[in-house]
Amino acid sequence: MVVGEVAEGVDLLVVGAGPGGYTAALRAAALGRSVLLVDRLGDAGVGGVCLQVGCIPSKALIEVAEVAHRAGGLGDAGLTVGDVSVDMARFQEWKAAKVGGLTGGVSGLLRRAGVEVAAGEFRFTRPGSGVLQSADDRPPRHLQYTDVLLSTGSRPVELPGLPRDGERVLDSTDALALQTLPRSIVVVGGGYIGLELGTAFAKLGTRVTIIEALDRLLPGVDAALLRPVRQRLKALGVDVLLGHRVEGFEDGVVTATAASGEKRVSAEKMIVAIGRRPNTDGLGLKKIGITPDVGGLLAVGPDRMAAPHVAAIGDITAGPALAHKATAEGEVAAEVLCGKRAAFDPAAIPAVVFSDPEIAVAGLSPEEARAQGMDVAVARLPLSASGRAATMDATEGFTQLVVDRSVDAVVGVHIVGPHASELIAEGVLAIEMAASPLDLLASIHPHPTLSEMTSDVARSLLHQPAGATVPAAAAS
Amino acid sequence: MSELEFRLPDVGEGLDAGEIVEWHVQPGSTVVRDQVLAEVETDKAVVEIPSPVNGTVLRLGGEVGDVLEIGALLVVFETDESVKIRSHGTGGPATSPAAEQPPIAEQPPAEEQPPAAEQPPAAAPALPTPAAVAQSPEAAAGAPSPTAAADGGRSRIGRVLASPATRRLALETGVDLTAVRGSGPGGRVTADDVRAFAAAPAVADTGVDETAGAAGGSSAEPGEPRRVVRRLADETVPLRGLRRSIAKSMTTSWQQIPHITEFREVDATALVRARASLRPHLEADGVAFTFLPLLVKAVVATLAEHPKFNASIDMAAETITYHGRRNIGLATATAAGLMVPVVKDADGKSLGELSREIDQLASAARDRTVSSAQMSEGTFTITNFGSFGGWLATPIIRPPEAAIAGFGRIRDSVVPVDGVPVVRPTLPLSVSADHRLIDGDDMGAFLATLIAYLADPILLLKGE
Repeated sequence: MVVGEVAEGVDLLVVGAGPGGYTAALRAAALGRSVLLVDRLGDAGVGGVCLQVGCIPSKALIEVAEVAHRAGGLGDAGLTVGDVSVDMARFQEWKAAKVGGLTGGVSGLLRRAGVEVAAGEFRFTRPGSGVLQSADDRPPRHLQYTDVLLSTGSRPVELPGLPRDGERVLDSTDALALQTLPRSIVVVGGGYIGLELGTAFAKLGTRVTIIEALDRLLPGVDAALLRPVRQRLKALGVDVLLGHRVEGFEDGVVTATAASGEKRVSAEKMIVAIGRRPNTDGLGLKKIGITPDVGGLLAVGPDRMAAPHVAAIGDITAGPALAHKATAEGEVAAEVLCGKRAAFDPAAIPAVVFSDPEIAVAGLSPEEARAQGMDVAVARLPLSASGRAATMDATEGFTQLVVDRSVDAVVGVHIVGPHASELIAEGVLAIEMAASPLDLLASIHPHPTLSEMTSDVARSLLHQPAGATVPAAAAS
Repeated sequence: MSELEFRLPDVGEGLDAGEIVEWHVQPGSTVVRDQVLAEVETDKAVVEIPSPVNGTVLRLGGEVGDVLEIGALLVVFETDESVKIRSHGTGGPATSPAAEQPPIAEQPPAEEQPPAAEQPPAAAPALPTPAAVAQSPEAAAGAPSPTAAADGGRSRIGRVLASPATRRLALETGVDLTAVRGSGPGGRVTADDVRAFAAAPAVADTGVDETAGAAGGSSAEPGEPRRVVRRLADETVPLRGLRRSIAKSMTTSWQQIPHITEFREVDATALVRARASLRPHLEADGVAFTFLPLLVKAVVATLAEHPKFNASIDMAAETITYHGRRNIGLATATAAGLMVPVVKDADGKSLGELSREIDQLASAARDRTVSSAQMSEGTFTITNFGSFGGWLATPIIRPPEAAIAGFGRIRDSVVPVDGVPVVRPTLPLSVSADHRLIDGDDMGAFLATLIAYLADPILLLKGE
């Protein structure tokens, strides 16, 4: 600060209005703090990537794609539907209305809680102080905070040599904003974002090729969970090129190389979804003595504090870059900054891939449980055992339980199938509560539903001869 | 089948007796090797005594509350195994490993695998797995549970089984979940377990709940409501375990050592600033940086200049021993009473090393996993009555040490600075010394040095 600049005192400054930031702001306000929530886009940015250009818009597209695709999919059951077409421009209006409604809802919550929302990029100038620079020509605001909570999220990583242009080379945000359906798309990256977008566009009639540099899709997800998804991608006509690196995109042709040689794939557009990078580089963290690691992540303790009076949550901290993780951390960080005892200490952070079928996991895989020295029992039941799945004509998938027998507790739940994203919540609760398989079996599940699978798989585990496990062969 | 007498092993580094706190088996119980038979409390800690064999319990050697000498009969088993019980060892609650078994004539030589491997599938639900053991730090430290043995001794997951709401309760009440014995299935810790643990001191010490006004060595948070129980009759309980040990030591001190105590207040502005500056750097390693490491540093530096305070007097031999090492005992409140783990050679340790060691020692004391070795060889003690909200108090010297320093709570006080009243953080302290060895002028000099270091901690660097 130079002479003449007048600093504003801020009690609690929250930087970034995504799901973690706004949750933290609301919690802190409820605890009596005076909160200033700043976001690059101000009020228009409330909800962050998740609400504006991530989770919610992508699920809107996935929902429309699924309905369009399934409309004609029950011919065997006697259902005939005329030509299905999707008007992307109308879809964008509809989506914008949904997003607008949700954003307005959050803004209303913040307003009623007395949280001030301001637009601008925040940058530290020294411990306890920073400057907020808005995009317009207004002079910057100098802020002196008592506490600060950083929740600046992440942004898509670009492909070296093929930067995003928003026309041909798209990132996930561009892809979700398309006004017309491309005839063909190459999706670069076989992680969950690439898989979700690729599947949705394929269902809408676009010819999709997914190119992944690694030798498998969804690195980090148990290969067994992926099998039904691979089968479905094949049925949808999605080409998957594993172990290929995209080298160029010229004249409507994407070139990708592998040890085996070069592949050329014609495509109208290319969606790059090769990962995300935490937004910690423009914050001036050096000024307050904080250095991110090489990946740009900040080190925090269980209380989410990165330094005295500085908390950090969400994508800029270690762990999965997921909205619900940020939200949970936001609650913890806000409480800690307000002097309460709180710790981020989950037994399980669920992860969901909105592929077809959906994949949802919570807790440990069998291998992870064994690696931790547990006495592991695994049980798995195919979706073909579910009456409800049969009526949905969707029997590809399974439910799997991982149990630590020494303490008789469920430590992992993995679901592949329709609505896995909803069903996993019971698994998370089971793991957090240290439920035993008997607890799951003895809790009566409604019939006929997909949720019955959870108690059925517990039954199959309990009724095995003692010491037996469902062999890994069931995985295939 | 034959009868096997199992005698109380040397449960803790040469101590002579232990009190039976709880039986986990009864006559007729079928037990497997390493299943916990009983909990025995010594002067220092509560130790779980595992079974040395697979068999059936025929008789118990005492009731809960009985004090058994080392080597006294604990359990008589009926078993077809034969083991050599180590009666005097230093390895804690261990029986001899299978490899030490003498050859048994009836046993075919082929059967060399440990008996645990012959058990029915270890995790079959019917097996009385002592899950609490699997969860306890002691188990992680060594004694394998039956399933672990069957598993080839692989370590088990460290996460305590408890619901999120219970975890939150533990956090809010300052209870370390790993120290709580879960009463739920498979050792799950319930909210009641946490509440009971938090309220344990009054019950564990005397069996009688004290009224809110009584000072009870409680580790409960200040201001926390205490359960008040109206009793119609007096109740007398035996003085046992750690409480007995503390009582003996304090009596000896008060009877034999002529105490002199001085009280001071120090302007802690620079101390507070020093901690604030150092904290983010030291906490980057994941250890909480409290004032205590700084106090230890200041005390150690002071002792270097005043060796009489780091000494022992022996009236029988008529000698004074000036100790070469500066081993600082830290009086630590635990659920069962005061324990004093010792930071050895504190003068050679950095602030980071002190922080980590203090943290580990305090945790071990609270878990009662601290060993006798970790509590011996102290040459000077620090006590911190500030954590209970105290201002000044009279510390009692731990024989055979010559002095003890007690610190109160840093709080804002109005102090005169150049004749003007100013609010400053101040640290109250009191030092007790053995007047047989230390005179008033020694005391004054010691305090002047200690205060100089506390008031201006940068002086600690002069000896680095």
